[in-house]
Amino acid sequence: MLWQLALRNIWRNRRRTLLTLSAMVISSALLILCLGVFSGMLKDMLASATEQYFGHLVISAKGYQDDRDMFANFPADLDLPALRHPQVTGYSPRLRSFGLLSFANNSAPVELLGIRPQHEQQVTSLQDHLQSGRYLREEERNGAVIGAGLAKRLAVQPGDELVFVTQAADGSIGNDLLQVSGIFSTGDQGHDNSLVLVPLGWLQQLLVLPGKLHEISLRVEQPRQAAILAGQLTGGMPPELEVLDWGQMLPEMKEVVASYDVSRMIIVTILYIATGLGILNTFFMSVLERTREFGVLMAVGMRPGQIRLMVLLETLAMGLISLIFGVGLGVLLSLYMAFVGIDLSGSLTPITYAGGTILPRLHAVLETANILVPAVVLLLVCLLAGFLPANRAARMQPVVAIREE
Amino acid sequence: MPLIELKSVSKIYPLGNQQVVAVEDLSLQIEAGEFTVLAGPSGSGKTTLLNMIGCLDRPSNGEVWLDAEEVGQADSKTLSQIRLNKIGFIFQSFNLVPVLTAAENAEFTMMLMGIGKKQRRQRIVDLFAQLGLQGLEDRKPNDLSGGQQQRVAIARAMAAEPAVVLADEPTASLDTQTSEELLALMKELNREQGTTFIFSSHDPLVISHAQRVVSLRDGRLESDR
Repeated sequence: MLWQLALRNIWRNRRRTLLTLSAMVISSALLILCLGVFSGMLKDMLASATEQYFGHLVISAKGYQDDRDMFANFPADLDLPALRHPQVTGYSPRLRSFGLLSFANNSAPVELLGIRPQHEQQVTSLQDHLQSGRYLREEERNGAVIGAGLAKRLAVQPGDELVFVTQAADGSIGNDLLQVSGIFSTGDQGHDNSLVLVPLGWLQQLLVLPGKLHEISLRVEQPRQAAILAGQLTGGMPPELEVLDWGQMLPEMKEVVASYDVSRMIIVTILYIATGLGILNTFFMSVLERTREFGVLMAVGMRPGQIRLMVLLETLAMGLISLIFGVGLGVLLSLYMAFVGIDLSGSLTPITYAGGTILPRLHAVLETANILVPAVVLLLVCLLAGFLPANRAARMQPVVAIREE
Repeated sequence: MPLIELKSVSKIYPLGNQQVVAVEDLSLQIEAGEFTVLAGPSGSGKTTLLNMIGCLDRPSNGEVWLDAEEVGQADSKTLSQIRLNKIGFIFQSFNLVPVLTAAENAEFTMMLMGIGKKQRRQRIVDLFAQLGLQGLEDRKPNDLSGGQQQRVAIARAMAAEPAVVLADEPTASLDTQTSEELLALMKELNREQGTTFIFSSHDPLVISHAQRVVSLRDGRLESDR
């Protein structure tokens, strides 16, 4: 009976109810979209840092990641149980070198990453960011895939021959020719301007480090849980090696991710305070208009608790209606932004921040929390906003309320 | 024992820095089955008295007994329960719930009492037939005339078979002919079902139908005949 009354009551003043519902639907839909885009941006940043370079976890000699010392290496044929862990979906053995890359009269300092192409593709996605040419092939001896900024600086294109000079592990000067296979562009200026992928065997030979690696980069199923997995994998490691997660390699990025939840709650709070005040206003008006009626209902035997419950059910009904439409609209908008998005590359350039890259696009990711948080908070706001008017209605003295005009 | 008994009842309202005495040291007994009018000019205290009998208001002094129970100082929850189970109300301006149909308005108190749907429907069919409301069950109050609305209000007041029906100026918003018809109907219900009716009114028509007229002036009992 109370539900029936509540449902009919909310449609008494259709225009006012529709306006309030619209505000609630639009605010929750925009909130879901906004959080989705925020998550998309965060995912892009995290992916640019981990899936274009670092990986989610890295196994290396203790201290290597601090100074990238050439001699902090380990044998490539170590049997590491971590590589067979069910959460690990791919791994890439790597050797790293820093040196000078030249073409004709141009030269630039670069970072060379010796890789096995098929393994590297399990961890990073540079093969998806090729601007021209092709990715390295497994059998290729001295191919090189270089960043677009570097290619521009050296004025090279696929097929050109480059000279790389560095210091080898035996103290000699190592130098050799590389042939440009492809050029990648990730939007991350740091990598685009200095990173070169070369075959692992070629670099081991040049550095006089046969059978040696500097790191093994891992891809895992749940990047957000990488820190926990790193802790689990460390147990099975030889004492001279360590497992670092992306949060340890990119502490600023870890802070960004941690601050995301706080930011989300701040946005939710601000938007819903405004919405809540709107609902509060609507229901206070509605209760004030019905003062006499509440008096009559109490006169004929309705208890104050039933009056309170009836008004709360009205706000709850409004909340549920706006929730259905708000979540529906929010999910639709988010799906559009997830599959189509908005390309801003015409007016914006990528921004590198905290080790990740914010791409010039608006792109959403659908995450359960981004729907559940606005939905639950909307219902709570409705009940809170309804409580004051409901309480006022319940505390009326019937004899006073009946006299109200 | 009388159905209703007021013992030295007073009601004083604060008004700014002053106190207004609406009812002063009034004693009254009403037996079950009476058809009584509380008469008197505006401000004589008849509505205040009706509100205290109806458990809508508490006396400042004195005792109010209803059906052998002292209700004058009962808490809000108890008063709600007494109003639901023992009292029916008819108001001057009908005061039907606009979102409910005529039948739903009439069966509202029975729903609050938890009476089953079948029993409620049967009671409404009987009452609507008696009150000449057949065919109007599904109409909303706004689609009914003043007389029809007051008939629905009577049906609501009578539906749960209360011990007493209190009617505050029930004919004030109606024309003479409709008032006459409704008074005749209420008198019939009083006679057939033995329900006690207490009116507050200064309408000569209502007073002429009364079995007993209690006249009030300045909050005091002026006459009882």
